[in-house]
Amino acid sequence: MNISLKVNGVAAEVDVPPHWTLLRMLRDMLLHHEVKHGCGEGVCGACTVLLDGVAVNGCLVLAVQADGADVRTVASLAEGDALHPLQRELVERGAVQCGFCTAGVVLGALEATTIGAAGSREEIRRSLAGNLCRCTGYATIVDAVEAYQLTR
Amino acid sequence: MLPRPFDFVRAGSAGEASAILAESDGAKVIAGGQSLVPMMSLGLVTPTCLVDITGLELDGVEVLGGLVRIGALTRHRELERSAELRSVLPLAAEAAAVIGNPRVRNRGTFGGSLSHADPTAELCAVALAHGGRVSLEGPEGERSVEIEDFLIGYFETAARQGELLTGAELALPSPGSGTAFVEIAERDGDFATAGAAVILTLDEGRERCAAARVVVIGIDGLPVRLAEVEELCVGEAVTDSLLDAAAAIVERVAMAEDDAFVSARHRVRCARACTGRALRIAFERARGERQ
Repeated sequence: MNISLKVNGVAAEVDVPPHWTLLRMLRDMLLHHEVKHGCGEGVCGACTVLLDGVAVNGCLVLAVQADGADVRTVASLAEGDALHPLQRELVERGAVQCGFCTAGVVLGALEATTIGAAGSREEIRRSLAGNLCRCTGYATIVDAVEAYQLTR
Repeated sequence: MLPRPFDFVRAGSAGEASAILAESDGAKVIAGGQSLVPMMSLGLVTPTCLVDITGLELDGVEVLGGLVRIGALTRHRELERSAELRSVLPLAAEAAAVIGNPRVRNRGTFGGSLSHADPTAELCAVALAHGGRVSLEGPEGERSVEIEDFLIGYFETAARQGELLTGAELALPSPGSGTAFVEIAERDGDFATAGAAVILTLDEGRERCAAARVVVIGIDGLPVRLAEVEELCVGEAVTDSLLDAAAAIVERVAMAEDDAFVSARHRVRCARACTGRALRIAFERARGERQ
């Protein structure tokens, strides 16, 4: 099925089978390997992308349902070598260890701060429910999002 | 971990969706896909055709006198976060806030929750607590069904082949009522072990209940309305002894079964706790003693 969409501002025309998820299309057709394939069933949040500005699990959206959409992955955030301020906070506070969950955490936290759902540590934790991290124990992630939120 | 191949059709109208669904046994509706896509990925369902209804204008919430009409495509996130909807449907807002996680709530739809009829679905319990009717568009036109008659079993509804749920009209409690949704899940964002949705309306003295709606999830294959607990509340204040009596009723009517994750006994204990907490919170809110 032919669809057209934008990924990180770049227009793409794709012929994708209807049973492919957005995650699979992004990784296997468009080679956006920054979008991670974790559980594949909507639990871990590693495949989080922004679909028309709204955070979704790429594994729970059919690629054909993204026809006409503006998709953003974590790779759209840095400007050249300069990381996004939220990414910098995560790095500086040791909130990135193996890094597998980080892309999803960044986009989930970015949405939360944008829509005003990160006003307290409790809110930040609730906003990041569904972004599993097996390394950090979350405390440094919450620290980083809180610090970023205070600078906005 | 990928769905099996299927045909995909974007419906241009509810009638077109219904015609495709009527033609084929293997056709299913997709909207937000937050239950359907993982179930397909896990091989639990293998539809031959998906009818995408997200292009239809079935979203939005409208107050019509003592009723509120909720479009099938209204997302959980709107119920949770829209200030306007929160004031009209505080019970739905409180329940929507504990569905899955924010990513799931961004996509999942009200109509999808009702149609999927997961036994512990928060919004099925909320709809049953409010009472009202769901609208179904079918090959022979539109019909509406009482919510109590629509939810008929474990993942089972009264929708016939070819019928598409387009929305629901829920009864609004009188102003000054208190509502509460409480659930217990083994992990944050996981399916509920048990939960309760309560709407209490006070009498003129504002000391006692004039009417009550009490729905519990986790004690059967579908949400259960506890008419006995409702009757117990009428004419009474919510006190410790009333909560004890309510807990005994939950215990007695529970049809919970052991499953791979929790025992029936644990589910019933959670259901008792949720019922008690929700009754107490709804009463305190109705009396203005709690936010």
